[in-house]
Amino acid sequence: MKPGMQLIDLADTPGEEPDFLAQLHGVCNTLGLEYASYASANPISGKIHAFTTYPDAWKDHYMAQSLHLVDPTLRAAARSIAPVDWRRLEHDNSFRDVFGPARDFNLPDTGLTIPVRGPMGDIGLFSVTATVAPDAWRRLTGPIMGQLQTAAVHLHDTVMHSDALTRILRQPHLSTREQEVLQWVAAGKSQQDIGDILSISSRTVEVHLRSAREKLCTLTTAQAVGRAVSLGLIQPR
Amino acid sequence: MILIVDALNRHRFEPLLDQMFQLRARVFRDRMGWDVTVKDGRESDLFDELDPAYVLALDDDYQVIGCARLLQTTGPHMLSDVFQAILDGEPPLRSATMWESTRFCVDREALAGGRGRHTVARTTTELMCGILEYAQAAGISDIITVIDPVMDRILHRSDNAPYDYVGRTADMGKVRALAALIDTSQERIDRVRAFAGIDGDIFAIEEEVANVIAPPIGLPGDAYLREYCHQQIASANSLRERNAAIALQKALSGLHSPARSFDA
Repeated sequence: MKPGMQLIDLADTPGEEPDFLAQLHGVCNTLGLEYASYASANPISGKIHAFTTYPDAWKDHYMAQSLHLVDPTLRAAARSIAPVDWRRLEHDNSFRDVFGPARDFNLPDTGLTIPVRGPMGDIGLFSVTATVAPDAWRRLTGPIMGQLQTAAVHLHDTVMHSDALTRILRQPHLSTREQEVLQWVAAGKSQQDIGDILSISSRTVEVHLRSAREKLCTLTTAQAVGRAVSLGLIQPR
Repeated sequence: MILIVDALNRHRFEPLLDQMFQLRARVFRDRMGWDVTVKDGRESDLFDELDPAYVLALDDDYQVIGCARLLQTTGPHMLSDVFQAILDGEPPLRSATMWESTRFCVDREALAGGRGRHTVARTTTELMCGILEYAQAAGISDIITVIDPVMDRILHRSDNAPYDYVGRTADMGKVRALAALIDTSQERIDRVRAFAGIDGDIFAIEEEVANVIAPPIGLPGDAYLREYCHQQIASANSLRERNAAIALQKALSGLHSPARSFDA
């Protein structure tokens, strides 16, 4: 993160922006987590977009102190490819700068941050926390890591698409295979059927579907089909 | 044993990364004849500047005997940026739960005639398990990897056959390359471990390796001094302390030759 970058609370953005905060609450409720946050530096607009389910008192403190400039869950985690458990950041002096005060607000310092790298050098950081012992934290997050990864990329892509300029630069670029698979889904075929038709394994069909869903910024295959139709990438049946 | 080195801990393991870049030069330029850039006997490319994660295989003396490089497929990676020929001009797969593995190699010379845990086959399999287990713990379900037909045969032989391929086999200069898909399922990990007879935790304890690489007492290595100075500057409580820490760093950098930069 460049110093002096402007921090913008996306929850305060009026208008037709997607409800980012509701997405975060959804992740917390579904996966049994206490708080969730998302932040990203858009390389084009230069803004840091952020939103969080943390209490307002902490948000005010965080923004007043410009803690985003030193917060290692942003600065350090951005350079990892794997989820960064905050235990890895404890020895960082700035971790104490941020999470020392967090304790006064009764906020947990057990958490992890998932870094997302976008195609244009954009980086998103999705953090989740809960007040639990280290063992319980591992048991809680281990089985949901894949879901957290998917949620992180989905949030990041949605935020990046919400910036008009980025949206233009990031038209979904589906491969022929991905379009074929979506076209067969639209025709009502099952994953196994599609594999047989295209002479590829069912798992490869799944991989193409997952890739297509992410490029189209959708969570479900049904949404992906709808969006691909509306973008003229496949034909409706 | 396996050690994961990424941008967060690489300052503690620079000597190991240096060995890795030298191993890559020996393998990819000298042995396989790939068209790679080698400088001062060390092979690196622009993807090494994108903070990848390195999976290192170490012997009992903490020498690098194998390595691989991992990147997310949501951002820039080799299949999206340089292996376009394999994809026939098609856009690459992109998934939150898929990583790309590249530059997989083991040190055949060092392992030649080795026995027990130090054979080419054993090191190759352990490195594969390292990739799969690290990825699985990170919530990654699939690995896409650009490999040559030799590596493809090794994967088949070690009960670790790709479940599919993407694109086509393409000529990459003197060699042919293809993109293979490998899942990180527990079934596959169990199969590969059983094949090589690997039991228990394969991951090295970071602290132990770091202490051997850069002993905290005695003669500190460059990496240790750099980290120390960095910490002193970062933790300074006053301008005076900060200036003193910076002065110390300057004085030390005059005594020691500057560390080799990997970004060049």
